[in-house]
Amino acid sequence: MTDVQPVTRIRPRDRDALLQSLRAGVVPRVGQQHIQVGRAAEIRALLTDVDRIADGGSAIRFVIGEYGSGKTFFLHLVRSLALERKLVTAHADLSPDRRLHATGGQARGLYAELMRNVATRANPDGGALANVVERFVTAAVTESRDTGARVEDVLQTRLASLSELVGGYDFAEVVAAYWRGHDSGDAQLTSAAIRWLRGEFATRTDARAALGVRTIVDDAGVYDQLKLLARFVRMAGFTGLLVALDELVNLYKLANTQARNANYEQVLRILNDALQGTAAGLGFVFGGTPEFLLDTRKGLYSYSALQSRLAENAFATGGLVDYSGPVLRLSALTPEDFYVLLGKLRHVYAGGDPAVYLLPDDALTAFMRHCNERIGDAYFRTPRTTIKEFVNLLAVLDQNPSIDWADLVANVDIEPEANPDLAPVPDDTADQPEPQPSTDDELSTFRL
Amino acid sequence: MPPTAFDRMHRKVQKWVWQQGWRELRPAQVAAAGPVVAGATDVIVSAATAAGKTEAVFLPVCSVLLDEPASAPGIRVLYVSPLKALINDQHSRLAALCADLDIAVHRWHGDVASSQKSAVVKDPHGMLLITPESLEALFVRHGAGVTALFGTLRYVVVDELHAFIGTERGAQLQSLLHRIELRARRRIPRLAMSATLGDLKVAADFLRPGHGDAVTTVIDDDDHQELRLQLRGYLETPPRLDAAAAEKAEQAGGEVTVEDVTPGDAIAVAEHLFTTLRGTDNLVFANSRTDVETYADLLRAKSERSRVPNAFFPHHGSLAKDLREHVEAELKAGGQPVTAICTSTLEMGIDIGDVASIAQIGAPPSVASLRQRLGRSGRRGGPAVLRLYVAEREIDEKATVLDWLRFDLVQSIAMVQLLLRGWIEPPATDDLHLSTLVQQVFSVIAEHGGVRPGEAYGALCGHGPFQRVTPSMFAELLSALGGNELITQMDDGTLLLDVAGERIVNHYSFYTAFSTPEEYRLVADGRQLGSLPIDFPLLPGMLLVFAGRRWKVLSVDDAHKVIDLEKSRAGRPPRFTPSVLPIHAEVHAEMLRVFSDDDFPVYLDERARDLLAEARANFTRLRLDTTHVVAAGQDTALFPWARSRVADTVAAVLGAGGLSVQRSGPAVLVTGVTPRELADELAILAPGGAPDPVELAAAVGNKASQKYDPYLGDRLLDVGYAARSLDPEGAWQFFNRALADLRTTSGVTQ
Repeated sequence: MTDVQPVTRIRPRDRDALLQSLRAGVVPRVGQQHIQVGRAAEIRALLTDVDRIADGGSAIRFVIGEYGSGKTFFLHLVRSLALERKLVTAHADLSPDRRLHATGGQARGLYAELMRNVATRANPDGGALANVVERFVTAAVTESRDTGARVEDVLQTRLASLSELVGGYDFAEVVAAYWRGHDSGDAQLTSAAIRWLRGEFATRTDARAALGVRTIVDDAGVYDQLKLLARFVRMAGFTGLLVALDELVNLYKLANTQARNANYEQVLRILNDALQGTAAGLGFVFGGTPEFLLDTRKGLYSYSALQSRLAENAFATGGLVDYSGPVLRLSALTPEDFYVLLGKLRHVYAGGDPAVYLLPDDALTAFMRHCNERIGDAYFRTPRTTIKEFVNLLAVLDQNPSIDWADLVANVDIEPEANPDLAPVPDDTADQPEPQPSTDDELSTFRL
Repeated sequence: MPPTAFDRMHRKVQKWVWQQGWRELRPAQVAAAGPVVAGATDVIVSAATAAGKTEAVFLPVCSVLLDEPASAPGIRVLYVSPLKALINDQHSRLAALCADLDIAVHRWHGDVASSQKSAVVKDPHGMLLITPESLEALFVRHGAGVTALFGTLRYVVVDELHAFIGTERGAQLQSLLHRIELRARRRIPRLAMSATLGDLKVAADFLRPGHGDAVTTVIDDDDHQELRLQLRGYLETPPRLDAAAAEKAEQAGGEVTVEDVTPGDAIAVAEHLFTTLRGTDNLVFANSRTDVETYADLLRAKSERSRVPNAFFPHHGSLAKDLREHVEAELKAGGQPVTAICTSTLEMGIDIGDVASIAQIGAPPSVASLRQRLGRSGRRGGPAVLRLYVAEREIDEKATVLDWLRFDLVQSIAMVQLLLRGWIEPPATDDLHLSTLVQQVFSVIAEHGGVRPGEAYGALCGHGPFQRVTPSMFAELLSALGGNELITQMDDGTLLLDVAGERIVNHYSFYTAFSTPEEYRLVADGRQLGSLPIDFPLLPGMLLVFAGRRWKVLSVDDAHKVIDLEKSRAGRPPRFTPSVLPIHAEVHAEMLRVFSDDDFPVYLDERARDLLAEARANFTRLRLDTTHVVAAGQDTALFPWARSRVADTVAAVLGAGGLSVQRSGPAVLVTGVTPRELADELAILAPGGAPDPVELAAAVGNKASQKYDPYLGDRLLDVGYAARSLDPEGAWQFFNRALADLRTTSGVTQ
């Protein structure tokens, strides 16, 4: 195992935020670099993407890795890099209710989720769409002050370029409505405009009554709306828009063949635009598993137009690498990586001071061994719960210095992640004997 | 004084009861009110037809809904029924009840417009009436939305519970109800309505698998109804033209009418039906759709010849919906008298108004179904009238010992005797329902967008309704599905549908758990008449009878499965493969009693008495009261007199041993083997003891009878078949008894 003795000091604010997120089982929004393990080349590759977007270009990446290879973490890292470079980011997980293409409101659901998570450097936690619009208006006001032109005229010129795009006319109308509300102090109008931009209007009638526009962001217009937004944020003074979509495996899981292919077609459209550079200042990062990409019957590769565009460089084998293609492979976390990660967590908990480490190195191996006994290699493949328990363990040791770590490690309770909707209902378990774990073992390790 | 059932009702429900002018609640309604309002347990209300079961369940349910206004959107009462027609019927009844109570009643099945369905999804509230198939579709198509629909469910109501028990649809229903509870994360009280049941414990275990003891049962079997009964015997006479002659005549361009190809006894039965039933509303039950078509056509032709309006209409599952609904509406309307000739389609629940009498052509399939059919008659206090028509073969040189014993007649008498004693078959619940489990695995995968094997096992088998399926059987099932490229597995273990599996799940036929044979649509003048499973060649120019009319085939479109017809003056009924129900051991035991008895039941007509006397004489002559084996010319007949499974197993074992065997009524006929030769065979077989049923099943061919059986793989198919259809213990007991008989009667010694 590698020796871990990082010497960086960590700011208490970062430390607390980091630990809080980890204990809640979510990827932290700040300080990811403190717990990042490896991946220097991959990060460099994504940095060039971010720079290209900031430069008015476009980019697309498929971050492909096994479960637990840290795709989600990696995507968050990329987002924080993008924020540093003054991009606006938006991110969402795909789910049965949130897809790229749908007819039953699921695509609008994805759009609404993205808009809730719009982040800027000043608002890295999301909910920044209103700030972006506000900044656009302020920029126009500043220009009018500098040039002496009327604010309306400045807005008009700026918005005119939006109207060229699909769906741009109403987008411009809504931004203009926001300005009117802003100007006249009509809070209702400004909030209606923001709600429209967030995709929260469900019917055209409501939108027309509130804003006088004839359309709403519906299932069919999601990607066009993102392109508009990319141009809009650049006008507002940001360098571009990075959209991070995770859990694309949910498209692979769609049981309806037609629905799945329609979603892949949408991916193709985004890919074509990005590779041709037609979507200025707009970048996409997708996170998915290898089967989602490679399965030629149900995966992206089942769509032949996508397969030819995404085929990996045939020369990049046997240790040779190519980080310039649209597909970026993340190798899975190994037990060694995990050991390093635990070391880093210990380091973060100690505020970067090796003198106050709560555990010796032996405890890290003991902890990993214990987890392995409980849930097998899932402990490093899906590290979320394991990390959570480790941080909990540190917290207890911190507050009860008299306890021996060896006793605590033996008591760490880790359960494999399961679908809560398939667990027995409480009434059924109340009057039944304990389920025999032996019967489930056969199926928990079942392979076709 | 404790509160009465009426006091428990909400004021508005009480008002509705007053408005109906009811003087008092029916016994079932009184008994059900307490447990339903309490809502702590599952409840089965078992009562005869027209005992007010629907109100017994829904009056207290509505009271609870009014007392506990909805705190969140969501369906509050889910009503599941096996028939679309019944849903339509209940919808209008419940809408009338709920109109004043401000409770919405929605219906959801294959014939309901999709705009109505999406309105329910958008704003779910009130009651939802649905079929198991549509419920399945909800899970597959709306997966994640099911929680929003059913998260606040207060009650689940199951109608016609007896029709579900032991069937593929029943297993599907159990699974769906369990999956709803998984989504709602709590147990939801299940209220079931059922016709009179043979064994309420079986029903309770079905309604709440594993916890049948906790189910409250409300029984109202107060059956004061007067029963008038006649069993008429007929002797089969050949049709004017046999099949070959009819074909020849058709090819020669001649006309072949139904009368030409119908046996004389059927014509005689039709004559009797015509004279006795005309002028009143009646139901005539026949055992096959072919018979339904035959009699409908005979009676229609008879009406035309007599220059009276036709009052006889066919009704069966292959007919187009509007034709079926027309007959139902005519029966209900009570204008012109109408007689429906039907299969079991009219056996169940739809309120078709007063029916003067019931006729049953051929031996009834079971006592339970006979009772169900009888329940359709005399609903409003009048006597129930039942006529049975049984034809037996004329004894000629081709007749076998089996024909001498008049099994159909004796079985009909035995079933009537059991009916009069109040006995009913308990439903068979031996099936493991592996075929339906396959469907549910697919459906759970589609619902959740992938599922881990252990979770799927837990949800469906471990704490779900397929409790007799072990983890290793489940693993085997998954492997078989994977081997057929129906499912695939991701690296983290999650099971997904493979391309072939997707094709199955995406097709609308996926939602039914039972197999529906591939059928051709019959179209005349652009109007759909119904559909026909084609298991015989059908060529242009051929004549057929369908929907009670005569047709000529214009063209057969194999690609689109459409047959074009035009009206014709001649025709022959199409052949439908009849389904045979197994016979319960008690019925066979009763048949033995009928044979050994000396009295003649009073309800037999003269011909039936003669036939019974003849059967009894032959029974005694063959010494069947003491022996189980009888020589029949070159053949040997075996009589296990046990449940038909035993005879099936005997036939399977002997067949696997290279003998040629036939099943006929309660008997097994071994052809080309004398009793002495058979004794030698049995002497080798019997001492070995009963084999493992699964091993035995491996020797049986053609086991895939249920919808998803073909995907199970050989071994699971054997396991399922053994559980469902074999009884080696019973068969070996019989072998030993038969061997003993053979040694005493024919002097065979070792």
